[in-house]
Amino acid sequence: MAQQAGDRKSRWLVSGPPLLYLIFFFALPTLIMVLASFRSPGEFGGLTPLVGEDGVLDLNLESYARFFAESVYAEIFLKSVVIALVTTLICLLLAYPLALVIARSAKRRRDLLLLLVILPFWSNFLIRVYAWMIILGPQAALARGVNWLLALAGAEPVSLLFSPFAVLVCLVYVHLPFMVLPLYANLEKHDQALLDAAQDLGANGWQRFWRVTFPLSLPGVYAGAALVFIPALGIFAIPDILGGPNDSLIGNLIKQQFLETRDWPFGSVLSIVLTVAALGLAGLAAWVGRAGGGSGEAARRA
Amino acid sequence: MKRLLITLLLAGLPLISAAAADKLHLYNWNNYIAPETVKRFEESCKCQVVQTYYSDNEELLAKLAAGAKGYDLLVPTGNAMQTLIKQGALKAIDKAQLPNLKNIGPAYMNTQFDPGNQYSVPYAMSITLIGYNDEKIKELGVPVDSWATIFDPKILEKLKKRVTVLDSSNELFAAALKYLGYSANDVDEAHWKQAADVIKKAKPYWAAFNASSYIKELTVGNIWLVHGYSNDIFQANLDAQAAGRKFKVLHSLPKEGAVLALDNMVIHKSAPRPDLALKFMNFMLEGKNAAELTNLIGSGNPNADAMQYIKRDIAQNKAVFPDQAAQAKLEQLQDLNVKQRRLRNKLWTEIKAAR
Repeated sequence: MAQQAGDRKSRWLVSGPPLLYLIFFFALPTLIMVLASFRSPGEFGGLTPLVGEDGVLDLNLESYARFFAESVYAEIFLKSVVIALVTTLICLLLAYPLALVIARSAKRRRDLLLLLVILPFWSNFLIRVYAWMIILGPQAALARGVNWLLALAGAEPVSLLFSPFAVLVCLVYVHLPFMVLPLYANLEKHDQALLDAAQDLGANGWQRFWRVTFPLSLPGVYAGAALVFIPALGIFAIPDILGGPNDSLIGNLIKQQFLETRDWPFGSVLSIVLTVAALGLAGLAAWVGRAGGGSGEAARRA
Repeated sequence: MKRLLITLLLAGLPLISAAAADKLHLYNWNNYIAPETVKRFEESCKCQVVQTYYSDNEELLAKLAAGAKGYDLLVPTGNAMQTLIKQGALKAIDKAQLPNLKNIGPAYMNTQFDPGNQYSVPYAMSITLIGYNDEKIKELGVPVDSWATIFDPKILEKLKKRVTVLDSSNELFAAALKYLGYSANDVDEAHWKQAADVIKKAKPYWAAFNASSYIKELTVGNIWLVHGYSNDIFQANLDAQAAGRKFKVLHSLPKEGAVLALDNMVIHKSAPRPDLALKFMNFMLEGKNAAELTNLIGSGNPNADAMQYIKRDIAQNKAVFPDQAAQAKLEQLQDLNVKQRRLRNKLWTEIKAAR
């Protein structure tokens, strides 16, 4: 009995702090946001009192009605989802070979390569975004080269900066390490003996990858996809800095509600839609991941 | 640079602790006081000035609405100040302690935002106008004396993707309303829709909605014409000259009139040191100190006594110190109510989403 109680105690000691963290920094703020989404915006920002002068609780669905009444909000939201998905896909395609190379290189080189992946984090996010302004600027070599080629083909010059292209490039650049690291963590643990066995059984290089390595790496793929997709969905700084006049995303829209428009309830509604979408997709990924993990088991058994 | 600061602050940079003795906590616009002015004030008051920065009024209001405390002195623009007054967020000032208040020109006292100056003292001002690369504009033969330059597709055809406008619904709507011949403070829904149409038609020609990097883009010559703040355009020209560019970045005040932003010093209700804040106000009302800011950033100056200390080329710049006729067409933006803000935001979102 005492043994059991001690176990329980240590279990709480271990899981308590992260649990408290989640309650205070995720659950509570989300609840506050949900409550705010049903309230009315204050004349000078903030919210009107929860209980009006007439003693009636002031809760309404007006902000939700607004979201669904105007298609323009859903349009921007969908566009953001598409851009986040494309970002995730490109990150996956770029990160997978890189993670594989790192995982299969010699121990000493592996550490160096990992360091290089993490290196960009040593400078501030915004400074890195601003650096892209210079790289993509019309006077930089890249834009000149592209426009020289376009001129050869007889096409009009294009602007790389302030374009959807700039936004996407920077989104991929910023999020790439978040895809590489979980993929690496997964690929690095693979047992070389499985591949040897596959080879003995007559599998060629592609079959070994597609039938053994890839199924086993799916949990890493899902983790990386969630780590890229969720932040990419809510980002506002990159479209603000690198985007053109058509590149506002849901994050910019939410920022506007809290700053220019001072409309906390509507900002909360937009944030809730974002949170629900992100949680929904993360849940979906986890569910598929579990299914995928199952097939990984199958591969291991095979 | 402004957006950069917003982002940093939203990212939750910790608030500088407020408790220590003999510190004046100044919550100010970025680069909105000359370093030598701060130094002299610190010497005269034997105190330390701790500055925190905001990049627009919305950010200031949002932070205070979310409960930020510990600031002594804020420098909001008229409409934001009015909001703060109505929220009861400011402390009334004791004018007996401000003998230098007499230096402020009467045109800038007793504004609609704070009748009788119960809470506020004018600090400096800027005008939202057109800034341009003189070489390119001369080459293209584009007129810059009207808002048509940023709104008329016929003119924009020549400037395609070389124009930025402020990423601010209030400023852009004000410019479009002025272009249509209405007041910048017009609240008629039909007029707003007209303005939104003007903006939507011009949007395909713009490179970006930009409030953060147009100074740099003007300086390097990527962007040839902007809708921006007079102080920023002054800065862009300084930077271009320092970088040895052949062109100049000049201001042009459109003939239809423009938005004037008069920033005011006010004391926050939660100020730990209102006494130091008053000392600072009186110090900044001295002509010499007020002039230093204008000489640094090219801001307009409501201080009559400052004019003698202001560099001649700035004092004679009609876009910084407009003549009487132009001054009559300047308007300070008034705050919108909840319903108007929601309508404005809906129109703005449609503008942003329009193809």
